[in-house]
Amino acid sequence: LFIGINEALLKRIDGLKLSQRNSDWRNAVKAAPWRISADREQWTVKSWTQTEDEDIQIRRAKLVAAVLDGIEINIHPFDEIVGRPTPWVIGCCTAIDVNGDYIPGLLSDNEIDLTMGAHTSINGESAAILRRAVEVFGGKTMREATTEAWRQLVGEWAENAEAAKLKDPSLDAAITGQSTSVLSWRKILRVGLYGYLEEAKAHINEFLRKKDSDIGKFYFWQSSIIVLEAVIRHAGRYGELAARMAAEAGGAERERLTKIAEVCKYVPQNPARTFHEALQSMQFCNLGKMLENPTQNNCHWGRADQYLYPFFIRDLESGIPLEELSSQFADLVGRWGTQTFVSGATQKESHQINFGINSIMVGGLGQDNQDQSNELSYLTLHLAALLNLSSPTVCLRWNEKTPKWLMNKAIRTNLKTKGGIPLFENDEVVVNRYLKDGIPFAEAVEWVSLGCVYPCLPTRAEHYGAEGVAAFNLAGLLHLVLHNGTDINGNQTGLQTGNPREFKSVEALYEAFLKQHEFFCHRIFWLGAVARNVQSAYFRTPLLSVLGIEASMELGQDLLLPHPDYSMYGMSDRAIIDVADSLIAIDNLVFKTKTLTMSQLIDVLDSDFEGVRGEEVRQLCLRQPKFGNDIAEVDELVCRISKDSVGIIRAYDNAPFRPMMISREGLAWHYFGGRGVGALPNGRKALAPLNDGSLSPMRGADKNGPTAVLRSALTANYSEVSYASVLNQKFSASLLAGDENIEKLIAYTNAYMSSGGSHIQYNIIDTEELRAAKLKPEEYSDLVVRIGGFSAYFVQLSPEIQDDVIYRKEYSI
Amino acid sequence: LKTAVITNIQSYSIHDGPGIRTTVFMKGCPLSCAWCANPETLCGKPDISYNSNLCVHCGRCAESCVQGAVDLERKYIIDRDKCARCFDCVGVCFYGALAQQGEEMTSAEVYDKVRRDKMFYDSSGGGVTFSGGEPLVKPQFVAEVAERLGFEGIRSCVETCGAVPWSAFETILPYVELIYFDLKLIDEKKHRKYTGAGNSLILENAQRINAGCVDVIFRRPLIPEINADLEETVATAEFLQKMGSPQLELLPYHRLGLSKYELLAMQCNLSELQPAEKGNVEAVCNVYRQHGIKCKIVS
Repeated sequence: LFIGINEALLKRIDGLKLSQRNSDWRNAVKAAPWRISADREQWTVKSWTQTEDEDIQIRRAKLVAAVLDGIEINIHPFDEIVGRPTPWVIGCCTAIDVNGDYIPGLLSDNEIDLTMGAHTSINGESAAILRRAVEVFGGKTMREATTEAWRQLVGEWAENAEAAKLKDPSLDAAITGQSTSVLSWRKILRVGLYGYLEEAKAHINEFLRKKDSDIGKFYFWQSSIIVLEAVIRHAGRYGELAARMAAEAGGAERERLTKIAEVCKYVPQNPARTFHEALQSMQFCNLGKMLENPTQNNCHWGRADQYLYPFFIRDLESGIPLEELSSQFADLVGRWGTQTFVSGATQKESHQINFGINSIMVGGLGQDNQDQSNELSYLTLHLAALLNLSSPTVCLRWNEKTPKWLMNKAIRTNLKTKGGIPLFENDEVVVNRYLKDGIPFAEAVEWVSLGCVYPCLPTRAEHYGAEGVAAFNLAGLLHLVLHNGTDINGNQTGLQTGNPREFKSVEALYEAFLKQHEFFCHRIFWLGAVARNVQSAYFRTPLLSVLGIEASMELGQDLLLPHPDYSMYGMSDRAIIDVADSLIAIDNLVFKTKTLTMSQLIDVLDSDFEGVRGEEVRQLCLRQPKFGNDIAEVDELVCRISKDSVGIIRAYDNAPFRPMMISREGLAWHYFGGRGVGALPNGRKALAPLNDGSLSPMRGADKNGPTAVLRSALTANYSEVSYASVLNQKFSASLLAGDENIEKLIAYTNAYMSSGGSHIQYNIIDTEELRAAKLKPEEYSDLVVRIGGFSAYFVQLSPEIQDDVIYRKEYSI
Repeated sequence: LKTAVITNIQSYSIHDGPGIRTTVFMKGCPLSCAWCANPETLCGKPDISYNSNLCVHCGRCAESCVQGAVDLERKYIIDRDKCARCFDCVGVCFYGALAQQGEEMTSAEVYDKVRRDKMFYDSSGGGVTFSGGEPLVKPQFVAEVAERLGFEGIRSCVETCGAVPWSAFETILPYVELIYFDLKLIDEKKHRKYTGAGNSLILENAQRINAGCVDVIFRRPLIPEINADLEETVATAEFLQKMGSPQLELLPYHRLGLSKYELLAMQCNLSELQPAEKGNVEAVCNVYRQHGIKCKIVS
């Protein structure tokens, strides 16, 4: 059962608590205001105004170096690993050099009211710095240049499509120019930045020796030397600060600071020797990456349990206490999980300032095609439960060989965190998709997920979202069909596919839908390709390139200049389930039973189911067959839309690059996407959230229990065409009470995944959620009270009895 | 093919036997226990329920009723004596206030629904559990479903109150791997008072089934003030001892069924009864354990 695994160590991990230092940090995070720092822009402006005549590659490198050399640094009392982009516990920098004037209200007054409950005040001095940055960079960034290029080609179309939430992300969503997010951790820890510097210098020498003429390459290697040396100097500044602080401190504090000073003088330039050095080295590289481009440039761990394992075990064997290693690991996991970023106006409704979405992988297949789960995988899960943060996303790479002890810990972690940590993603499905797309096994098997479930190869540059191309809203396209191409804001964003009141069959309507789809996604891809050609004149990412993609160093090419060997493009076609349920309802109500005419239906939808008659029609719509109940007709339609959509997307000629990979992620997008869609024939009201995930049934519509949902999901068969899918399921805490029931949920998960399910994650229903169910019965009509020999739907219980269920622990639901 | 009236086929049932199970709730029961949590299963025919919380008094039900059994002024709307159970009103109720309880299904239909979860039974060692109501009121139906499932390697459990002729057990035994057998009361008088029938047949069946080769777990719904006192507990323990101390599961009383009485316009005589304190349930459990009986609380 525990072959090759130190079972005693697992038991010790089970007993670990957060260290005092970790707890102090957590309290500080809870108390800290979220702040935006203007400091970085001082240095961007200074550098940029001094380098006007230089090549863009060198200019950007010098800008990064100026920031790293100048920006204010700080060491907190609870830090063991040091380094943050701002002096505060929770803070982020602006990216006016990247995006121009992108923060709404930045220049209008001194108080920026940001969503998500965060208030950030900027003092007069800071505001002056930001204004100056806007003067220098405003109108001359890749975002603005791309927007202008798009206007030249299609007028206001792109902005209208973004405003109607038909395409995502907008250019100001702050992932522009972000080509990959996972650094080459293994190599960084193995050779240190000195190793990279030697490589760059060797390339330069070779260039000169060969009298090569491709000056862009020469500049690239030069730029990489500039930024790598700057990262080393930046680490050195922390070392000096720690040494100065140590000189003034006494006792344990002095010891802590002295150790920090030593570590900061050794890494990241040298190969790491200890777990502590490895983590510190990673943090300096990551800081460099964030300060190079502080937009939504997340701190992705990748397969930490693999590349950190040798350091972890070696330290343990040399006598360093497990508690100390755990505390160091928790320090950095927590820090990366609470890194904030600020994005532009179109994201204001959903997440203008928020924690970065980062991810950490657990377990999974290795080069020998065996599962690689180890004690550090186990510790990762344990710490995720102790920290209980919304980030990082913890992704367990499930495969047939995933050991039981890891699954057991994973389900227990779900229970402790109310679910979602970890989520389960099917290793074999992802690897097989890569293989089918021609990626060699050795690369494919090292996949990691970005943020939610989107798979990415650490060896290739993922452009997902970077050129304003990541996802589009199929429910929004259906809205266009139902309004002859007019979007929710009244703009003619879609094709005129004909008067919707005159459709004679659901097939004709579906044809119109596919036409909108093709028009839309090919136009988005075209604009993406245009963005690709515009942006490299304005922006480069030497640090991300050199530390992110090994091929970048080899080729002497910045990631902002895509290359067929390493650039990957992907697309998420969202809200398929909403479309399928709606088409079924139209077919039944209008064409089969003739309960309504197309015209009547559209009137009711346009009135948002207004009045008594409207509500009746809505109830009728809600009662039509829905995905998630193992009804062949619906599930097969989902499968058909899925395949048709992929056919259209993959038909786009993306040469010289690989065809678009389909990856149906979208963990929290449904709120955002719903803002662009009017009332739908599935019974959803206008502007309400769409279905969550990409494969979850409509809320409350799955009435045949959780296993029927999984069977529907398998019939939909996303795994055949998509790298990822998202299926959320709710389980009540008591269904997981006791060892026996944990075993049952493991069996349930295994059954789904081994049948080809690609992702599942559990939400644990707690008391609060039950209260919500009492108030909104419609959304919880699937919630079953399960007790031996008893069966009832929660929402059918009387309010008094519902309270019994909510408040009394002896009942399990 | 045999048919039965089914109220619910509940997947991912984890309290009704080993592994992940599907529980088939069948309608009709020879007993009428005062504490019954599934009153919708007492009567053997499809029935109609009315949820006043969901009703908007639109009047469509009254329009649809040819019997004139619907009166919106009445608390429960439907006159159950006049109602012909045609369920036309359910069809026109947009808000789900009226619902049909129970649907007649053939053994093949039930088999088809249950078998779909085979992958979950296989991965967890689960199967199907027939419950109710009293499944052994329709032993041939149970046997037909269980036999067909058996061909696919899906195993069956039955939950029974035991108040059925021994022949019913004989019919199903070849296809069933585990029986949950309810022992509600040992005291005959009390049994008659609270369940509407005597218990001699039940106790006889209990001994016969226990002596046979199928696995049996006895179950006791633990009802405060009725069968949780020391006298009843000791009497039950001694009865079990005589049979060689088979396993016993205690199911503490809960009030969750009360809402269903309201939906069905039925009276519940125990509507004021409160669930037992956790400590009291454990005390009863300990009495059984002191008698050498492997006793476990299931909730």
